Amino acid sequence: MISLLDYYTTKFGELWEKSLSDLIQEAVNGVLKSNKLNKKQIDAIFFANMLAGVLENNLHISAKLAELIGLNIPIYRVEAACASGGAAFSLANNYLNANSNKTVIVIGAEKMTDYSPEETTQALAGAASGEEQEAGLTFSGLYGMMANFYFEKYGCSEENLAYVSVKNHFHGSLNEKAQFRNKITIDDVLQSPYVAHPLKVMDSAPISDGASAVILSNNQSIIKKSKCSIKVLSSQMINDTISLKSRKRPDEILATKIAADKAFQESKLERIDINVAEVHDCFSIAEILALEDLGFWEKGQGGKKITENSTRWGSNSRLIINTSGGLKAAGHPVGATGIKQIGEIFLQLTGHATNRQVKKVRYGLAHNVGGSGGTAVVTILAS
Amino acid sequence: MISPVKIWRRQKEIRKFLGKTGTIVSWTKIFIAGKGFKKYAPYPVVMVKIDNNQKIYGQLVDYENNDLKIGSKVIAVLRKVREASADGIIAYGIKFKPAYENN
Repeated sequence: MISLLDYYTTKFGELWEKSLSDLIQEAVNGVLKSNKLNKKQIDAIFFANMLAGVLENNLHISAKLAELIGLNIPIYRVEAACASGGAAFSLANNYLNANSNKTVIVIGAEKMTDYSPEETTQALAGAASGEEQEAGLTFSGLYGMMANFYFEKYGCSEENLAYVSVKNHFHGSLNEKAQFRNKITIDDVLQSPYVAHPLKVMDSAPISDGASAVILSNNQSIIKKSKCSIKVLSSQMINDTISLKSRKRPDEILATKIAADKAFQESKLERIDINVAEVHDCFSIAEILALEDLGFWEKGQGGKKITENSTRWGSNSRLIINTSGGLKAAGHPVGATGIKQIGEIFLQLTGHATNRQVKKVRYGLAHNVGGSGGTAVVTILAS
Repeated sequence: MISPVKIWRRQKEIRKFLGKTGTIVSWTKIFIAGKGFKKYAPYPVVMVKIDNNQKIYGQLVDYENNDLKIGSKVIAVLRKVREASADGIIAYGIKFKPAYENN
């Protein structure tokens, strides 16, 4: 059995005083110190990052990490756009399934705020198809297309989407590592300027800096010494076409559906068993699609369901979503996001989620998406 | 990044789509654009199912606001698609305009 032993994340936000290396170092030192592990006990590192190559001409980061940390071990760099973190975790999980008595660090890091919005938008758009880029589509534009299609088909509106951001900002107000700690109203969302119609600034995850790390192990003596741990029941990654137009339906992310079905099957759990989940809300519409495609809500019902506020912390329902604040309020340093999601579930399942602790949680799920749905990773964890 | 040889390779495909009509499957209007597109923003982009059922993307031009809806008929036209690169090559590609019945 593979166990997750510890989690550390830097604060997310506009961290002008910190470079990518500073962020990586803080996350690695933080997670090792927290678990009282010596770095020499680490057998491999899985490092998730999307943009350093494009934005800061920074490649061969594995060797830079080796220098930074002072280790001669394999360091694998993983890139899958905004799902880089989830993909690195899934790969690490496979590595441990293939190798006994190993302990690894999975770290995701991203430095995005040194650049103009056009430069960052352009770099992120590199994860779209060539045709999408040539039509001037951005990721907000692709999710905007999904939202308009969804509105037309199921009859909901921008106001329905606003409930996602209001909830996630409330959760962000409870998370000291979140980029945004302010509560917002439906009107705040509706009055914010458009990014890509119908999505507005307050429907969109921000540009962020940050790094998050977890320790995974299947070495029983290390697991026993750890002060707390949770189990990885399944971590499934699925790819799909890069282009939104090449998929059968613009109102679902098929990769999410397949990954979720495989993860639930391997975990031998039902949807109803999950008490907390971090889902990929890069844009408000994405959280609604995620809850439907993961199988928690029926297709087409999400726009209405979100207005019931059942997934908000403090509600009586058995499923609370994005207690970290989600990508919207916690921030979205793309390589780090997938690790932060899993880390948040770790905090919830070990009772360390402080003022946002959900009661009686046994199973949690993390859902990370790359691009407009070309990659999805679903991970199920148990206390 | 865009280069003369890339444009040349891509432009061989463009003629297949010119004059084709289709319907809007979905649309958006981009307000925050990437480099190379900033001066055109805000601009609408449509996903179009053309008459042989193939789907393609393009910006919508010469439109009125009520043309920008799912199900509207459009026709593919040749237009400049982005700001010129440092090499000075002007990139042409597919855009769409509304296909009015008496047009």
